[in-house]
Amino acid sequence: MLYVKDLYKSYEAGKNKYQVLKGVDFHVQHGEFVAVMGPSGSGKTTLLNCISCYIPFDKGAITIGETNLAGQSEDMLAHFRNTKIGFVFQDFMLLDGLTIRENILIPRIIQDEVTPDAEELANKLASLFGISQIMDKYPAEISGGEKQRAAVARSLINHPLIILADEPTGNLDSKSSRAVIEAFGEAKSRMNATICMVTHDSFAASFCDRVILLKDGTVYKQLENGGNQSQFQDDLLSAIKKMNMEI
Amino acid sequence: MNQTVTLNKVEQKLRHANRKHARLYLFCNFTALMIISAYSGLMFSPTIQTAFPSGGDSRKQMNVIFILTLIGCVIFTIYAASLFFRHKSKQLGILMALGASRKRLAPTLFREILLLSSLSSISGIIAGFPFIWIIWNLFRLLLIDSTDMQLDFDFKCLPVSLLFFTLVLTFTCFTAWRYLHKTNIMEVIREEHINEPVRELGKWCGPAGCLLLAAGVLMGYWGPSLYCDLANVMLPPAWMNLLYAPAFAGLYMIMLHAVVHGFRTYKKQPYKNILSRSMMKFQGKQTVNNMIVVALLIAGSCFGIFYIPVTAVGSMMKYAAQPYDYFYCYRADQSIPDESTVRMLAQKHGLRIKDWERFEYITLGYGGITSVMEEDGIHFHEEYDRILSESKTLSEDTWRALSGMDTTVRSGTYLCITNQEQTSYSVSPYAEHITNMVSREQIATKYAGIAVSDFSSLTNTPGCRILNQKDYDRLIEGLTDDWKGFIVRFNIDGKDSYAFADELYRLLVGSTDDTCMVTHYYDRVNKTITNEKGDDWWGDQPSEAPFMRVNPKQINSISFRMGWMYHPDFRILNQNDFLLSTSVLLMMFLFIFIVCLMTALVICYTRCQTIALNNRYIFDDLRKLGASPDFLAKEVRSQCRSVFRTPSLVGMTIIYLIFILLLYGNDWQLVLTELIALCICLGILGIIGVCIYLIYRLTVKNIIKKLKIR
Ligand SMILES: Nc1ncnc2c1ncn2[C@@H]1O[C@H](COP(=O)(O)OP(=O)(O)OP(=O)(O)O)[C@@H](O)[C@H]1O
Ligand SMILES: [Mg+2]
Repeated sequence: MLYVKDLYKSYEAGKNKYQVLKGVDFHVQHGEFVAVMGPSGSGKTTLLNCISCYIPFDKGAITIGETNLAGQSEDMLAHFRNTKIGFVFQDFMLLDGLTIRENILIPRIIQDEVTPDAEELANKLASLFGISQIMDKYPAEISGGEKQRAAVARSLINHPLIILADEPTGNLDSKSSRAVIEAFGEAKSRMNATICMVTHDSFAASFCDRVILLKDGTVYKQLENGGNQSQFQDDLLSAIKKMNMEI
Repeated sequence: MNQTVTLNKVEQKLRHANRKHARLYLFCNFTALMIISAYSGLMFSPTIQTAFPSGGDSRKQMNVIFILTLIGCVIFTIYAASLFFRHKSKQLGILMALGASRKRLAPTLFREILLLSSLSSISGIIAGFPFIWIIWNLFRLLLIDSTDMQLDFDFKCLPVSLLFFTLVLTFTCFTAWRYLHKTNIMEVIREEHINEPVRELGKWCGPAGCLLLAAGVLMGYWGPSLYCDLANVMLPPAWMNLLYAPAFAGLYMIMLHAVVHGFRTYKKQPYKNILSRSMMKFQGKQTVNNMIVVALLIAGSCFGIFYIPVTAVGSMMKYAAQPYDYFYCYRADQSIPDESTVRMLAQKHGLRIKDWERFEYITLGYGGITSVMEEDGIHFHEEYDRILSESKTLSEDTWRALSGMDTTVRSGTYLCITNQEQTSYSVSPYAEHITNMVSREQIATKYAGIAVSDFSSLTNTPGCRILNQKDYDRLIEGLTDDWKGFIVRFNIDGKDSYAFADELYRLLVGSTDDTCMVTHYYDRVNKTITNEKGDDWWGDQPSEAPFMRVNPKQINSISFRMGWMYHPDFRILNQNDFLLSTSVLLMMFLFIFIVCLMTALVICYTRCQTIALNNRYIFDDLRKLGASPDFLAKEVRSQCRSVFRTPSLVGMTIIYLIFILLLYGNDWQLVLTELIALCICLGILGIIGVCIYLIYRLTVKNIIKKLKIR
């Protein structure tokens, strides 16, 4: 479903050039729930931004399904992002001037088809994530965790085929984290959605089918979930520990 | 729940959330266009057009400052628009990231900016007219009023504002287009927080900038005349104006230095004022642009206001120095009121005339050097003509009686009369022949120096020369009355009266016939000679009429009072009329001062406001980190100070030095009146400085209140 081949990306800041991704290679199968882990600054956000073509990359290829996003026309790309991708930003990116309800519905609003169905779904997601009572507030008036849950709800409103989530549980207590992970799990089982989630939380990652460890701009290791969740979490923790030892 | 949440509705809501930024943009655009429209409206108005001699220096200065203001406003509106977009881009970026296509976003975005720009621009253009009308009429009400000051509009000025309006529209549309076509969506989202660094040059860039600035000004000022001398051409080619370019580069470098390094060394306390310095660097490009514009505008405004003392002091001192109250010349063939008529008129006004004296002068043809254009129309060579131009001529004895000086003129030579400062343009040492224009008796002669007089009737073009008595007697032989004339002078016993001077002036004008209604430039000798060759005299061309003839019906106009060849020197009339006769010029320059200063202050104010608006979160964070209100207030002050101080100081210093250069450069010396004028200018700079300081204080107060620091 998602193929990332030999991806290179560097940032230029003034005269200096920072090589962030140095040949990232992996693929995610249709309907797979994958977590991406790695130390802070290892390029996880950059990777997600490249996948959704928010930023141009230097070298490599990314294909989603059959399509190579980088080669698409602007209109196609926009349509694809709108209908096929659900994106959760690390810093939420809610629009300040709109209520939470409107923010959640924005992907539908962009299509100009806010059906009663969509509104019902918005309400359902809101009650699932425990944000029903703040639906008419503005982003400036709610807590960080509530913003995050609203951002997750927004990513699910369009029944996306692929969800790219950047630390969707970073600010959440275990109950809310659980709700988010379960919502992703449901998207996976009901819609056969593909999910790629960046996280620092090994507990959240232990719900995934596979974990990709990112280090120094390359894929360090991939771990498969054998089926036993707590066993998988322990494996993860030791792998991460080992990775951090090797400097 | 409401079923019709559409993208349009959402965008409308977002616009509402953006209204603070939109309002700032509206304000900036409105102000810029109002200023442009007012300035161009005034500049193209017939009132100003007739008052400013075309091709004259004052008109050139007015145009240069207009262009300066125009550039200032262009940069200012661009700045305002980019501020607006900087804020707007986050919303755009998020919508794009969530899959809104360009096609979807473009119409509303363009509609919004077109609406905002047109609304503010058009209302600005319209508001410009009442704005200037009110200012102008306040001048008339409070300062000076004359018939010349009747303000008329000519709608030829509209293209300027419309051009500017188009520019604003083009720029905003282009910016919107650029944002929509960025492929890096993250960049669009983060636009507001993206650094715009400036090129960091070393510490040498400040001093080097000063040098470049000085070099540019000197080269621009003297380059053209040097070029003309070297290449033997009359007019410097237009590209010579590019010689001023280094001055702008220098200005840029000075501002860069101020932004990057500051003018103090922070070696001992590297963290002092670190916040304001880093914020300035963070938006370095905007800061530098803004500072340049403000410096130029302040320079322009000072230039405008300096014009007034520089013109007025010289004239006022000259009138005060006049040794006689009344002094006038007239041609002998005119039926000018005689002594007894004038005495009776004085009696009517309760005045008594004393020291009445009348002297004779004659008008002769003098040789001189002319520049003859070669066939290419660019180069020229010089030729000597035996009979070239006219000049009043006094005999040695008359001059002694007139001046009280014991001057001797040797036979075969002549003296030129000039003013105290020796700045009169009528001194010409090239004549080698003098001719009686009736009998064509000609004698050889030579320049032998100058004599000094305080009366402009003798020093204005066509000037006046003194001959040895024998030469004079020989040349007067056979002259008809129209080549002869009289000089009359007298004093008033006791206090003079303006009413008498005015009535006498009107009487003089009324009893002079049409042949004498000519300007200083009208040269009968040159005309006669040219006509005798069978050519048409250039001064007779209809296009030259405004420069050659005056209309006695416009006796109160500037062009008549400044231009008439026989305009008398009546001290009280001159003193009273000086302001009146130059009112339009003075008021125009006063207006330029107000407009430029206002623009500069508005830009500074806006800049400070945006600092407050954009860095609100920084101040919030600082407060959370435990910064005291005093510390925060100090930061605000230091931010605003940097916006106001450096450009004001630089602008004022530059213009003051340029003025010294101008006053020195016109005659290679600084005479007393010029020194006094420079002192007055220094005082004015002080007043302007205080004004700027007050606005600065107000701005700081306003921002501190907005940020809720206290
Ligand atoms: N716009 C940018 N310009 C320059 N450098 C950048 C930019 N964005 C990110 N970087 C750099 O690229 C590197 C990777 O950044 P990225 O945001 O992908 O890290 P991350 O893995 O998501 O970290 P975290 O877990 O803290 O979110 C970092 O070292 C960062 O400094
Ligand atoms: Mg990240």
